[in-house]
Amino acid sequence: MIVPMKKATLTFLKNEQSEVLKSLQKGAHIMFIEPDEDASTESGTELAKIETQNSEAMLRLLNNYSKKPGFFENKPSVSYSDFSQDSDRGLDLLKAIEEVNSEIQSHNSTISNLESENASLRPWLGIDIPLDQLHSSKSVFIQPGFLQPETKDEIISYLQENGQDIQVLETVPEGIACVVFLYMKGYEEYLNHIKELGFSETKVPQTSEDPLKIIRRNNDEIKKEREQIKQCTSKLNEYGSEREQLELFIQQEESKKRRLEAPFVSTIETVTYQGWVRSDRTREFKKDIEAVTDVYDLELTDPEEGEIPPTVTKNNYFLAQFETITDAFSLPKFNSLDPAPVAGPWYWFIYGMMMGDAGYGACMVIALFLFRKFKKPQGEFGKLVNVLYYSGYTTIFWGILFGSYFGETYHPILFNPLEAPIYMLIFSLIIGVLQLFSGMILKMVIDYREGHFMDGVYDELSWMILIIGCGLLFLESTRIIGIIFVAVGALIILFTAGRDKPTILGKIGGGLLGLYGITDYLSDILSYSRILALGLATSVVGMVMNMLAGMVAFNFIGYIFAAIIFLVGHIFNIVLSMLSAYVHDSRLQYIEFFNKFYDGGGKPFKPIEIDQRYIDVTGADLSQGSNAVKGNLE
Amino acid sequence: MTMGSVLALAGAAIAATFAGIGSASGVRAGGQAAAGVTAEKPELFGRLLILQALPGTQGIYGFLTAVLIMVQIGVLGGSPLDLTIEQGLCFLAAGCPIGFVGWWSGIYQGQTAVAAIHMTAKDPEASARGITMTALVETYAILALLISILMIYGIRLS
Repeated sequence: MIVPMKKATLTFLKNEQSEVLKSLQKGAHIMFIEPDEDASTESGTELAKIETQNSEAMLRLLNNYSKKPGFFENKPSVSYSDFSQDSDRGLDLLKAIEEVNSEIQSHNSTISNLESENASLRPWLGIDIPLDQLHSSKSVFIQPGFLQPETKDEIISYLQENGQDIQVLETVPEGIACVVFLYMKGYEEYLNHIKELGFSETKVPQTSEDPLKIIRRNNDEIKKEREQIKQCTSKLNEYGSEREQLELFIQQEESKKRRLEAPFVSTIETVTYQGWVRSDRTREFKKDIEAVTDVYDLELTDPEEGEIPPTVTKNNYFLAQFETITDAFSLPKFNSLDPAPVAGPWYWFIYGMMMGDAGYGACMVIALFLFRKFKKPQGEFGKLVNVLYYSGYTTIFWGILFGSYFGETYHPILFNPLEAPIYMLIFSLIIGVLQLFSGMILKMVIDYREGHFMDGVYDELSWMILIIGCGLLFLESTRIIGIIFVAVGALIILFTAGRDKPTILGKIGGGLLGLYGITDYLSDILSYSRILALGLATSVVGMVMNMLAGMVAFNFIGYIFAAIIFLVGHIFNIVLSMLSAYVHDSRLQYIEFFNKFYDGGGKPFKPIEIDQRYIDVTGADLSQGSNAVKGNLE
Repeated sequence: MTMGSVLALAGAAIAATFAGIGSASGVRAGGQAAAGVTAEKPELFGRLLILQALPGTQGIYGFLTAVLIMVQIGVLGGSPLDLTIEQGLCFLAAGCPIGFVGWWSGIYQGQTAVAAIHMTAKDPEASARGITMTALVETYAILALLISILMIYGIRLS
């Protein structure tokens, strides 16, 4: 069911602005919109944004140094009154972490500077004089450079033969460092020759000490810097235990930011906000305003023509879980029909058929029950877990009807799809027809509510009669009735499908074209054969696992292997089948079922609410969806 | 073992082999895209894994068709039947739909999965829609599987 929305225009005193907003945020009542007149936001929102971004970066840093929460550990919680007090410790912590972080960064940059200096000196390690003294003299030309390994020997022997000298030093990635000593007289000839052979000139870094000494000193310094970084990280480790304080601070800042971002119109003494509120919660809305102020003016109006309020759906707890499936397609438009009450049960029902194994159903129920109990999943994910948990029960139901237990057949009540696939195929198609019919009936209801009921008769009822007729044709005894049904349905379509067309010719053409729509219905119905295919896939893979386990089970060690194969194989099959069923069941809803009556296109209701990312704030409401999950599990 | 049985086994081999090739190719394509996205956004791993796994079903369909053929002709569990050449050819034909459709649809579904993975990288909320788009490709593998199964069960063995 879709909750009607009211547009609220709320005016109150400026000096009570922050208190009122806090109260509205606590109750998650209102989704602010830009007021009609020129609006402003409170100053300092940009600042608040930067601060929260920075604090999140610091939290990520801190997360590396604090204990990870266990898989089954629940989200911590804090009371609203604690939440609303400014966390001084959080701010201090943030500042302290920032300080340590910049300290670590400066140490790291010092280290990398020292290391790059070392790297530049490494080739010249063999020179035991300060490097700035290595320059040509009056009679000797001195040239440092690099040799390539392939031509090294050639160059050395060339120089020695010609009475020149070369000192070979360290081997580094650039090549083999060396210093060439040539007589000043006519040195160019030698130099050019060795250059041709692959010698490359370079300059040595100018240092006033010999390289070995500098590298040693640098290494000592690097060690010291590393020591200091270690001290910094041990500080971070200490702060790690206070992570929750920082998380709380971030949530407070984010919540503050949301309040500041709300657009409003102000006069000298008052401020006016506009937004959407749920019509079923206006009393709570007023109560939360009155809790903090007596002086206010509230105007609640229905949405006007052209205004598009956000969509809130309200269903009972069971159906609300299936909203995660229907909402993933699209939210319903505020003035249309919520598909969850119809699509939800069908999804539930068909999921069980697609799995179709009582043993697997029992595994799903037990595993997901424990997961729900200990992990307490929330939000959309929590809803999905609930959907799968409920579908475990329909899986058991169909498994018993099909007589399928962990891939073994035992006394089927209906029939076993593996032994009678044709029955199962027909059964799947009948289920498909029934679901399509339920969608078409919904469409008729929509037509009726919009005041053109006869469209429903022409476009939906006619097809339903025709399809029932086609079904009856298959049975010998009802063939005559079937023919009548088909004829009636087809005639209605033939005469009404072209009713929008202005000309007679257009009407005839439209009627014939309308009949061609049978192909759409045929492909929609045939699409439900995937129920059979997925059910068979589950049971055949299960059967193979049993067969494999049976093949090795002939002595004691064999039994152990058999048990392992059985366990791993069936878990693999369950997980894969659940994924397939989830995907294809969703598809049946989205493509085949929704196509009959549902457009979607709504936008979500996102009221201003307290940020509860890391820590739950008890006493504060979240917008409807996540709340429903939370409520039941507690 | 008769020539008919050999032909039937060839049908099983076609189903498992080609559908398996298609799935392997599709899952590989999806995996490469998902790995790239996971490097940037590790929190999306769960959603991406589902998208990557989608083209994997063709291989399972081929596998299950092969098993069904082997069960029907008694190679798995039971005593092997002596099939005539005609019966063997029937099983060979039955293996073809899922073998070939599984092969190509696996590859194409993998390409769709890659696109859906990129979409999820940009807008994680859209992953359910991406899953639906990718699942549409599989329809034809399911139809082929159905035909293969109906053919297997339709072959007279007496």
